[in-house]
Amino acid sequence: MQVRKTNYQVNATPRLQVLTEDAIEAIYYASLRVLYETGVRVYEKEGVEVAHAGGAIVEETTEDSSLVKIPHYMVDKARSTVPSKVVVTGPDRQYRMELFKNQIYFGGGSDTPYTIDPYTGERRRATYQDVKNCARVAQALPNYDFHMSLGITQDTAVGTYDRWQYLAMLEGTSKPINITAVDLEGVRDQLEMAYIRVGGKEEWKKGPIFSLYIEPVSPLSHSKEVVQKLLFACDHDIPFVYTPCPLAGATAPTTLAGLLVQALAESLFGIVISQLRKPGSQLIIGGLMSNMDMLSTIYCYGSPEMALLSAAYTDITKWLRVPEYETAGCSDAKLFDEQAAMEAAINISTAGLVGGNMIHDVGYLDSGLTSSIELMVASDEIIGMIKRILQGIPVNGETMALDVMKEVGPGGHFLEHDHTYNRFKTEIWQPKLIDRQNWENWQMAGSKSYGQRVHERVIEILEAETEPLLDDAMFKELRRVCELADERHKGEELDVKMFG
Amino acid sequence: MSEIYEQIATGILEGNVPKIPELVQKALDEGLNANDILNDGLVVGMNEVGNRFKSGAMFIPEVLKSAKAMHAGQELLRSLLAASGAAQTGKIVLGTVQGDLHDIGKNLVGMMCEGAGFEVIDLGFNIEPEKFTEAIKKHQPNIVGMSALLTTTMRAMGYTIKAIEEAGLRDKVKVMVGGAPVDAEFAERIGADGYGHNAVSGAELAKKLVGAA
Repeated sequence: MQVRKTNYQVNATPRLQVLTEDAIEAIYYASLRVLYETGVRVYEKEGVEVAHAGGAIVEETTEDSSLVKIPHYMVDKARSTVPSKVVVTGPDRQYRMELFKNQIYFGGGSDTPYTIDPYTGERRRATYQDVKNCARVAQALPNYDFHMSLGITQDTAVGTYDRWQYLAMLEGTSKPINITAVDLEGVRDQLEMAYIRVGGKEEWKKGPIFSLYIEPVSPLSHSKEVVQKLLFACDHDIPFVYTPCPLAGATAPTTLAGLLVQALAESLFGIVISQLRKPGSQLIIGGLMSNMDMLSTIYCYGSPEMALLSAAYTDITKWLRVPEYETAGCSDAKLFDEQAAMEAAINISTAGLVGGNMIHDVGYLDSGLTSSIELMVASDEIIGMIKRILQGIPVNGETMALDVMKEVGPGGHFLEHDHTYNRFKTEIWQPKLIDRQNWENWQMAGSKSYGQRVHERVIEILEAETEPLLDDAMFKELRRVCELADERHKGEELDVKMFG
Repeated sequence: MSEIYEQIATGILEGNVPKIPELVQKALDEGLNANDILNDGLVVGMNEVGNRFKSGAMFIPEVLKSAKAMHAGQELLRSLLAASGAAQTGKIVLGTVQGDLHDIGKNLVGMMCEGAGFEVIDLGFNIEPEKFTEAIKKHQPNIVGMSALLTTTMRAMGYTIKAIEEAGLRDKVKVMVGGAPVDAEFAERIGADGYGHNAVSGAELAKKLVGAA
């Protein structure tokens, strides 16, 4: 065999890298200084005690909180046990996320107060049925790998809505779910529901069917509920997302590097406490960081800074070898319109190219306040496009097709060639909703805009007959957990109905 | 005489925090009336800040700097204005409600209200209903402002209004609410007097509630 080629490098996939290793290390060591010198405020005594027993300095203790300073060696120690891979599956194990370096999975966002009614286009408070609808759509979309509620069930009890929300999602999808919980008891109840759904605690241990969303408050604050949830998740083998949402210029420095340092310090605290509590506890660190719009004061979900920061944070987490919670498929537009499509396309591309692991918030409009099934469906196709780009261009004898070119020769064509016949389906991505017809055919098909075609697809999915995912007995058992929670907390609801 | 007013208004517009007290003091030393310094200098500047912000020519950090300068000027005038019997804009007690640690929105409202001439007593975050009622008794504000970011903690706004009622203080204060999941309909349902959809509208609402707008 003759070998002539040397030093030949290929990109099996296109690459995007925002930060160099040196920049990542600078940010990491700066975060260690923040943890040690500035410290974080912890509003939960048990969390403070765990940190203190592990070597943290505890100062300025007040009635409800302490300032906790973490020496760097505690972080080193925690990093030696924090898993580099986290797995979350669906209840029947058909769907599976293997979250580790350079693996991408897309899914929705949680708990928006509002949704766009898919039939009337009206923006209104989300309900149980909306959450179920979003889950059914997530189930139908091939590029959706996991699900988050995309709405708060606001026609159920306010203090225990999280259980109902989980039930609505379980009714609609068998993909992995990232849940939210109003408090520790909410986590406990939903874990009980998950045991019912997956077939018991041992089955859960074989593969958790949800991860738990936990959000510390920027800057550098870890609330009571947050720390309680974290400790409970460690104790019960629940993988959890620990994601601060710092806002450049408002709850973090306006310089993006400063924001990254702060966000990392916030996540590292989660890593340290979790590994002290139970070495091997599974975290996914995030992931939602952006700028405040200095005219409207909104949290920007569609800004280039949001995409850039998320990508940079992905670089940091790859270096740390901890799975990441990315953000994409979201927009500040109020409707699914040109702006929404544009912003989602940019942030989905960036997240896909950089290789964030659990890429969430697909379907978010209105700065995270409103969900849109239309944006979910439109984004599914954008994800399809970026996945095609990620397949890159393999360069070899077969693909360079010199023989084929020679056969066809100058002036011929390739349409009838077996090389085309055998390869066009795998080589060329075929869209589903994007229009490529000529003018006349497009006109004959009703002259529909992309928005109209997306809308029709939404209705088609919602009205398709599907087999129920939960049988009657299981549904009743799950609903019982929700009802018991309502019963325990009924005294805490307001006298007036909060939402219409 | 009008020159110093113009300098004060320009200083506000530029957010010149150290300069404003100097200019106000200079105006007082020249024998000008506190009320006129306020209305013809500080307020003129702040109104222009409002106009420019609305047209997108000024941004939040710049507006906050101006508000801070405004506040510094007013502090100097406060005792004089009180002595002259001139009406103050009013006093606001602000807080993020029980169970909620999110306070960036509440802080923004506080700064905007200070810029609008209010005396602001910021209770902080995670504030229990009783803390609000105690603060009302202690500070006797015109307005109580509450903020929440979560639907679960929105309930605490309802509890707090109830506690204010039960303490017999409801007719002594106006209540305004705000926060991302809050809307006007909810504000009405729990018996608040108004809802601000952002910091600027919060400050405008506060002025309306005390009859200063």
